[in-house]
Amino acid sequence: MTDYAINTTKLCKKYGSTWGLKGSTFKVKRGELAVLVGPNGVGKTTTVRILTTFTKPSDGKAEVLGMDVTRDYKNIRKRIAYLPQGFEVNNNLTPMESVKWSLVAKGCRLSDAKTRSEKWMQMMGLEKCQNRVGWTLSGGEKRKVAVSMTLATDAEVVFLDEPTTGLDVEARHIIWKIIRELVSNGTTVLLTTHDMEEGETIADSAVLMNHGKTVSQNTPQSLVNVLPYKYRVTIEKDGLGEVKVPEAIDLGDRLIIYAQSDEEARSLMADLSDESMILSVGKVGLEDAYLYLINNGEMPACSG
Amino acid sequence: MQWLRQILGIAVLNGKWILRQPLWIFQSFIGVIGLTITLFAWGSSLALSNLVVAYLVIGSWGLGLNIVAQTIGWNRVGHAYESYVASPITLPIYFLGTILGSMPFFSAHLSTAIVISILSQMDLAFIPLALLLSLISLILGAFLSLSIILRLRNPTNISAITNPLNTLTTILPPIYYPLSFLQPVLRNLALAVPTVPLMEIGRWLAAVPTGQEIALSLTSLIVWTVIVTVLVAKKLRWGLE
Repeated sequence: MTDYAINTTKLCKKYGSTWGLKGSTFKVKRGELAVLVGPNGVGKTTTVRILTTFTKPSDGKAEVLGMDVTRDYKNIRKRIAYLPQGFEVNNNLTPMESVKWSLVAKGCRLSDAKTRSEKWMQMMGLEKCQNRVGWTLSGGEKRKVAVSMTLATDAEVVFLDEPTTGLDVEARHIIWKIIRELVSNGTTVLLTTHDMEEGETIADSAVLMNHGKTVSQNTPQSLVNVLPYKYRVTIEKDGLGEVKVPEAIDLGDRLIIYAQSDEEARSLMADLSDESMILSVGKVGLEDAYLYLINNGEMPACSG
Repeated sequence: MQWLRQILGIAVLNGKWILRQPLWIFQSFIGVIGLTITLFAWGSSLALSNLVVAYLVIGSWGLGLNIVAQTIGWNRVGHAYESYVASPITLPIYFLGTILGSMPFFSAHLSTAIVISILSQMDLAFIPLALLLSLISLILGAFLSLSIILRLRNPTNISAITNPLNTLTTILPPIYYPLSFLQPVLRNLALAVPTVPLMEIGRWLAAVPTGQEIALSLTSLIVWTVIVTVLVAKKLRWGLE
């Protein structure tokens, strides 16, 4: 039995004359939560669609639970669950009905489906609206229903394509907690997101993608450690005066300044004419590492 | 029995809207009963016998063309289709479940057809075979619709395609009026519309006069079945697209 739940090698997909994916290579261990991060159109969804056997790869190799996606797709489908990006919850069903009947459709006994869906209503905090039809639910509640429909299947490998997009902080935290609990119990999760904070907070492993290719894969902390900077300081540009700044990203009337050490960050802040110009100070994160790695070891739009 | 449960699950997921919005079925009953009264009032028992066949065979055609195909189209637009593919659900289970889910819509046609055939003392022996033809009609209607809507680049307004297609194939051709009403040359042309051979075979089963050789209708039906099956098979994939 392979240690990897997901294994892709130089995975490519061509749509007509355009390459949607130009070489995605990464591995996800069993019982691990991996995030696929990158901007729109880099091939995250295409990668997931191939792994969920919806799309046929044009080239390269993809395995799920040691099975080839093009040859063993029937067996793979029995062991996975997928929440596609933009999935619309049926407005004519209540949350309870959506979860229960989607479990029945996937082969669960009715009594078991009922028990499981009740449990998921509770876990997701949907009890108060569990018997209200979809039309009356908020966007966040619908998203929770969609996530419940996918996670309640108890599949070995779960693919979630931007599951928390548009959710408020509290709802995101509920979903993150549940996903982490599933992972602790042995489920493998591959989640796509634009949100680097999400990746950094919940992932065991982050796969950075750009221009249809995998840029890097490692633990979020290891990716952050690649950066030559330790801190980022966001300031209002007006307060900068004659102060010479190291690497920075220009945001118009604001700057994100990168400092290599504690001393450098402190010195920079001490040089500013007005302390109130400092908007935030913090450690660098996955977002910074991502920008650095996709720009070949430089921060974009830097001014020295 | 797992597959039966799965079919039921898909049926509820895809068909619950019909029960949640019962006015659709109410509207269907009103239309069916109204047309029955209209023909009865004009005094033609043959027209009523023809209506029984039309309700069974063409009622299900509309169901396949409109409801089943629209549901599959909506599932694709709303991405439920992708989540079904990445699961133990198979294409036959999905298709049968979608058909089962749409069945409440057929209740108006089916119940009215049975009531009329009893009241007009028709020989009910044709009903089982007519129901089998009805199923073929439903699948053929769904396939014809799918072979078009699956080729649309952005099929968001699916009913804008399926509704006119339904009207075109059920109101204009000789469905509610006899094929023999047309000139002989037009009769053969009319048989090229898939609903006409379906209706002719239904008439033949119910001992209602037909307007053309039944072999011609059978041939037309087989040709249509092959064409739409090929067209749908090319586009309706269960993953690995």
